[in-house]
Amino acid sequence: MKVFSIIMLIFLIFSSIAVSTMKSKLGSIIVFAVYSLIMAILWEQLEAPDLAITEAAVGAGITTVLLILTLSRIRSIKK
Amino acid sequence: MKDKILNTVGKNLIPFIQIFGLYVIFHGHLSPGGGFAGGTIIGVSFILYRIIFGKEFVQNKLRFSLLIRFLTIGVFIYGVMKGYIFISGGSDLHWATPPLGIPGSIISGGFLLPLNIIVGTVVSVTMYFFYCLFEEGEI
Repeated sequence: MKVFSIIMLIFLIFSSIAVSTMKSKLGSIIVFAVYSLIMAILWEQLEAPDLAITEAAVGAGITTVLLILTLSRIRSIKK
Repeated sequence: MKDKILNTVGKNLIPFIQIFGLYVIFHGHLSPGGGFAGGTIIGVSFILYRIIFGKEFVQNKLRFSLLIRFLTIGVFIYGVMKGYIFISGGSDLHWATPPLGIPGSIISGGFLLPLNIIVGTVVSVTMYFFYCLFEEGEI
């Protein structure tokens, strides 16, 4: 499982760089959800399934919804 | 919203999300999970319910007075139980506690199961309120 973890870590680094360098706001939020999903897989690899459940629910679910709602409140995207 | 596909999928999917959340809460002292993770999953099901069926319909089902009553009574009972177990265990008084039970069964672990249930209730209501405040500025 070590090779799989290293591949996931490389994806994690690329997605975290892509969040901060992307032009589109909606696109960066979607990549942030992908970051949370990869982080959940990594928590499971590090034998912390408790944190993996919480990261998948809060990081990929609630945070994405709240950020998209904030974007629609400041009228950056249409509802 | 009047979308038939969305209505049907939501009607069939939301109960399963809630059952999974209840599973995570009730097995919090035996397996990974617990009050916070399960409560977040149930809160996500409430948010999905409100997105699909609209504001007016859901405000009659999940009334603000009912939810705020769950929230405040839950926080109050949590404070009382946690203070009781801190005083009882921290100063070696050994007051009465719920039975510890057989390890591995649902009814075991003393105060852990009721505390998990209360945390799940409070977290699910709080997540639903967060969504409502971000969407419209009111609940």
